[in-house]
Amino acid sequence: MIRLLGAVSLICGLLIVGTNLLTSARIRSNQETIMRNSVSELLPGAQKQIIYGVEPSGELKILPGLDTPGQRLFAGYDASGKLLGIVIESSARGYADLIQAMYSYSPEKQEIIGFKIVDMRDTTHPATVVKHGSKKNPWEIDAISGATISSRAVGKLIATSEQDVLPVVRKNLERIEKGE
Amino acid sequence: MSEIVSCHTSESPGITAEGNPFRNGLWKQNPVFVMVLGMCPTLAITNSVRNAVSMGFATTFVMVISYGLISMIRKLIPKQVRIATYIAILAMAVTVVDFLVKAISIPIYLALGAYIPLIVSNCLTLERAEAYAGKQPVMKSMLDGLGMGFGFTIALTMLGAVREVLGAGTFLGVHVFSKNFEPWVLFLLPPGGFISLAMWLLFFAWWKERSAKRAVIREAAPEMAIATEVNA
Repeated sequence: MIRLLGAVSLICGLLIVGTNLLTSARIRSNQETIMRNSVSELLPGAQKQIIYGVEPSGELKILPGLDTPGQRLFAGYDASGKLLGIVIESSARGYADLIQAMYSYSPEKQEIIGFKIVDMRDTTHPATVVKHGSKKNPWEIDAISGATISSRAVGKLIATSEQDVLPVVRKNLERIEKGE
Repeated sequence: MSEIVSCHTSESPGITAEGNPFRNGLWKQNPVFVMVLGMCPTLAITNSVRNAVSMGFATTFVMVISYGLISMIRKLIPKQVRIATYIAILAMAVTVVDFLVKAISIPIYLALGAYIPLIVSNCLTLERAEAYAGKQPVMKSMLDGLGMGFGFTIALTMLGAVREVLGAGTFLGVHVFSKNFEPWVLFLLPPGGFISLAMWLLFFAWWKERSAKRAVIREAAPEMAIATEVNA
């Protein structure tokens, strides 16, 4: 009985590993495309993108591609080279798994100007319920409803990343504006 | 797991190994409209045709692969651990599908969300593994998986079509009504799933009753039945 269960588990494990090896390159390429499209969606009119990696010292480093792990920032510029905004990646634990999201921040207005869920496994999609309506204050979110845990995770991922990343953005803003 | 508890047993009416296994699953023993199995994805992700078809194909793939493997080793599996073995094999097939969907299309992967991993606890998949694949030869089991999977896909697509057309005014993203059409958003929400399913079930119940009545008339007086059909 134990031998059979062991053999079944071994075969299943090998099949899963094999599929992972076969599909990982394609999945990575799909995720890169989604990420680039998300940046364009969150910063409409952006003609040029520069990807910055945040180093542990709080300094920024221009990344050649999306392969480098760690905290990344996507700066979007219009045709004249003016900074339109910065897209920040963030994640927080939802009900089923990590909720990965991207939001765009405008240093000029000092407010979040866009939000998008990139990956999540929860059954209710908070991205469909984060509404942009008539705001009285620039920092207000009109409503997040639906799944309680997913909604809280969305609030948490924005709050955490604001605390961690925005000081780095402010410190290096001049450099980002010049695209250096 | 609550779904598994409420599964039919192998003695459930309508679940037999007789006849063509592919055709049975497709219509005569349709998992949604006849056996009313797999209600969780049926009601949750059928808010568009694209989601419904993707979910249907993902479930079909899981069923064909896992039933083939289960049937292959059915004589080696001790009775006490058969459910654990079926779940291990189903979980493997679901993980493979999860990777494949992510590699094929991330928007579909995001739309289906948690419902892909939940295929493993879908009443339909475990029920057929226990009632059919664990007792029948490999080819028949795979055909059963294919038939049930296609039957499931057809049912989800029918529900998805009603919900997308009425709830969004589109079919596969293409607008089907004039600009004056006000979409019934209710159909995209969970109650819309129940209403659409009830409509289809009522329609099939009415159709079955009508066919049964016609069959009785045909048996009693074949000439009169032909005359009635000609007049109709």
